[in-house]
Parts: sequence; C-alpha cells; structure tokens
Amino acid sequence: MTAPAGPPAAIVLERASRWYGNVVAVNDVSFSVGAGITSLLGPNGAGKTTILHMLAGLLRPSAGRVLLGGQPAWRNPAVYRFVGLVPEREAVYDFLTGREFVEMCAKLQRLPDPAAAAARAIATVDLEPAAGRAIGTYSKGMRQRVKIAGALVHDPTILLLDEPFNGMDPRQRLHMIELLRSMAAQGRAILFSSHILEEVERLAEQVLVINAGRLAAAGDYRQIRRLMTDRPHTFVVRSSDNRRLAAAFLAEPAVFGAELQDGRLNVRVAEFSGFTRIVARVARDAAVTLYEVAPTDDSLESVFAYLTSRR
Amino acid sequence: MTIFPEVARVTLRALVGRRRTVLMLLLAGVPILVGLLVRANSDGIAEVGPTLDGLVVRIILPLVALVFGTAALGSELEDGSAVHLLTKPISRTTIVLAKVAVAGTLTAALTVPSTIVTAILLAEPGADVVGITVSLGIGVFAGSYLYASIFAALSILTSRGLLLGLGYALIWEGLLAGLLPGTQVFSVREYVRGIVHLVSPSVIDSVVGNAAVPYAAIALVAALAIASYRLATYEVRGSD
Repeated sequence: MTAPAGPPAAIVLERASRWYGNVVAVNDVSFSVGAGITSLLGPNGAGKTTILHMLAGLLRPSAGRVLLGGQPAWRNPAVYRFVGLVPEREAVYDFLTGREFVEMCAKLQRLPDPAAAAARAIATVDLEPAAGRAIGTYSKGMRQRVKIAGALVHDPTILLLDEPFNGMDPRQRLHMIELLRSMAAQGRAILFSSHILEEVERLAEQVLVINAGRLAAAGDYRQIRRLMTDRPHTFVVRSSDNRRLAAAFLAEPAVFGAELQDGRLNVRVAEFSGFTRIVARVARDAAVTLYEVAPTDDSLESVFAYLTSRR
Repeated sequence: MTIFPEVARVTLRALVGRRRTVLMLLLAGVPILVGLLVRANSDGIAEVGPTLDGLVVRIILPLVALVFGTAALGSELEDGSAVHLLTKPISRTTIVLAKVAVAGTLTAALTVPSTIVTAILLAEPGADVVGITVSLGIGVFAGSYLYASIFAALSILTSRGLLLGLGYALIWEGLLAGLLPGTQVFSVREYVRGIVHLVSPSVIDSVVGNAAVPYAAIALVAALAIASYRLATYEVRGSD
C-alpha cells in the first residue's frame, strides 16, 4: 500500500447532534481527530453507530456539522473516494464470491485495475483461500474481513469501522490490529467503535468515550485509563474480624467510609489504586486475616457513568 | 461509464437464479396455459386484446413487476447490504436507473413472450395476428418498465413496499381504476391499453387514447425522480 493522497486525513464533529423524534441519540458532540488510530469507546446504545453513520453520510445530522477531509458526507457521495466504511451489520451480497464483491467495490471506485486492487485487498485481510467461495458460506469472521477488504480496496485516507472485531478469533484479531496499525503509520485516520476496553487498550492511541449520546472523555489512552481507575470505588472485603478491620480502615485518609453488612465489609475509597496499596498493610497492622477483597462496581457501564457525571 | 453496467450486473445476479425467478416463470406461464386450454377446445376467440388486458396487463404484469421492482433495491436496503453500494462515489440516480433497468428488463423478458405466445394461441383464424402481437408486446414492454420504476420507488419510500405495492396493484389497478370513470388517468393499466390502441386501434379500445404516451412518460420520470431523491437522502439507522 502506498501513502494516501488527496484530502487531509481529518475527521471533525462540530457540535453535532442527532435525534429520532423525541429520542436524542447523539447530543452536542464535538471532536477532531487526524492521522492515527482513534477509538470510539462506549457501552452498547451509547450512540457510537449514530456518530459513525453521520460521519459516513448515512445519517443527516440534526444539528451541527460533520466533516471528512473538510467535506460534509451527507448527500455528497464524492467523499467515498477517500473514505472507507466497515458497517457493523453483517449483510453483504451473499450470492457473490469474496473476490467478486471486492472487485465490485474496486470497479465502483473506478480504479484503473480492479482485479489487481481486489487481489491486494484480499491478501491484506488474509482471505485468499476463501476468495473463490460465495459470501453466503462465510463465517462471521470471514464476513468481517471481506467487508474490510471492500472498504480499503481504494486505499482510503479515512477508514471508519463499526465494531470491527466482532466475530473474530484471537489470531484474526491480532492480524487486524497489525493491519490497522500499519495503515495508521502511513498517515491514515482510522476511527473504530468498540464496547470492549481490552480492544481499545491494544490498539488506540486516542480514545473518545461516548456515553448516553455525549462525549464523556477524550484524550490519550493512558490518561483515560487513569481517569477510569482513579475514581471513587467501593470494595467488598471479607476477613477474620470485619469490625476491627473497619476501625483500622477508617483511620486511613484514603477511606471515606466503611460499613458492616451480612458478614461483609463495604469500604468506600477515594481511588482504586490508593486502596489496593494500603489494604494489605492495614490488615497486617490490625492482625486481621483477609479472605477476599473485590471491587464492586468495575463494570464498564459504571465507569462510563462516572466519566459522564464528571463533566 | 462503467458504473451503470456494474450495478446492473450485480443486480441481475441478485435477482435471477433463485426461487423467486422460478415462481415468476410459473406466473408468466399461466396465460400460456390458458391459451393452450382455449386452443384445445376451440379455434380461438375474437376478443384477444381485452382478454390479455384482463389476464396479463391487469394481474400478471403488475405482480411480476412488483416482485422484481421491490427486490431490486428494497430487499438490500432492508437487510443492510445496500450500505456497501451507498458508500461508493457514485450518484444515487445511477443506482436507481440501473436497478430499474434490470427489474424492468426481467419483467419484460417474462411477460412480453408470455403475452405474444398467448395472443398467438388465442387468435382465431383470419385474425390480424401481427397487429395483435406487436401492439400487445409493445404495450406490455412499456408497462414492464413503468411498473418496475413505480415499485422500486415504493420500496425505497417504505419498508413495506411489497405489501403496499400488492394493495396498489390489486385494489387500484385491478379494481377501482377499471370501474370508476376519471380514475383511468392515473392508471398504468390504462396507459398500457392506450399504447396498444395507438399501435393497433382494433385490438383494444382506450379511454385515455393518445394521451397515454405523455401520461406514461410523466409517471415514469416522476417515479424515477422520487426514487432518486429518496435514495440520495436515505438514512441508515444503526442498532444504537
């Protein structure tokens, strides 16, 4: 693959909103991302697909502006010359073979040598052995890869992917991560959505956290990770003497409160890592044996809710 | 100009070679079967035009066009695979034209031969077989594209294109437009009758007469324009 030419690899949302009747799916979101890999992270139903579809010209923004390489995508098919979209839905033309589908994409992009471009894209996603088979016979992971091949056959400067790792096995996932990294290294802007923190952790340099249609946090992955861990937490502790341990914890500045409940001790702390550093020492000093220490609210949803409430 | 044939080729692949085509072949065979029955028991009939109007133009043609017209674009919009076509640097009008061209051609490929063979079977000795077959053939040919464009537009306007199209074909075209005076101006069936009448006046009488051609042209352009506009502003809603 060559370095992309054409409009700048820039994806911009300016106070973009989208509502369906009375339901607000995306609420006043602004961000600007350039070359590199950026993740749209959020729980299911947060508005990630709505944002990607607005970017891809498949939804009209209800308010605000949405620009790809400086151009709006809505009612402007010309942007698809330098944009590729990998939709979340699995439907592809089942009656075509993988190669026929990617060649169709190449021809519709008016590429000078569609067959060669298709062969390159198929090799890139590692789908050569199955390229001659009808897409109807493909597994979920193979469908995902043929969609990606179709989206990058014209070497787009901007690649939008909606939950690209769905249905992929770990080996394919790793291959895809390498592929996206190499594409980003060539100066492309890659924006992918995900609800799985581990995927984002391994791939994205920049993270946009979306919750309930709003941009909850944006920035460098490590920074977001810190925000996620260093927030008020509740731990459940079981020990040989909960009452004594509670008194010992309450003497610590990092601990907000402790309460006994059904033979367990609930400890409210200022931040995750601060507590994990002191818990063993406090128990030892109080001569109490710890049986169990577990964070209670580490679901991604609670993390997102916290990030949203912080604003 | 490689886009139109490519979209048309893929559409053709989607539409033929499936159970749908076999069913449509059977449907187009019904008039021929009727013709064979009539032929086996008589020397033919005098009223070939009105008979084929009632059988093909009123029932078979709209049904075949309905299936191909709504399947050409509506079914891929429905299952989401159309996204791959919509996110290409091609005008949505080109997509509509290619889809309608294929749906109309497939409809014509089934209904025109069916009409001609049936007309030959039904024609009594001494009848103007050339005039009958040519006029009916041209009428059904034109009707195929007109119906296909209307049903394609309907399938973009609503996700219930097949159901609404069936209602329109059976209730409006099949019943009301034939019964009530004044409604004929808005009936594809009447346009087809008018075109047949224009080519060979003795085959069938027509209420709209020569105006059938401009009416049909306006209806075709309107359907294509509505379909193009709706596809250009088509919104794909995601799961969230």
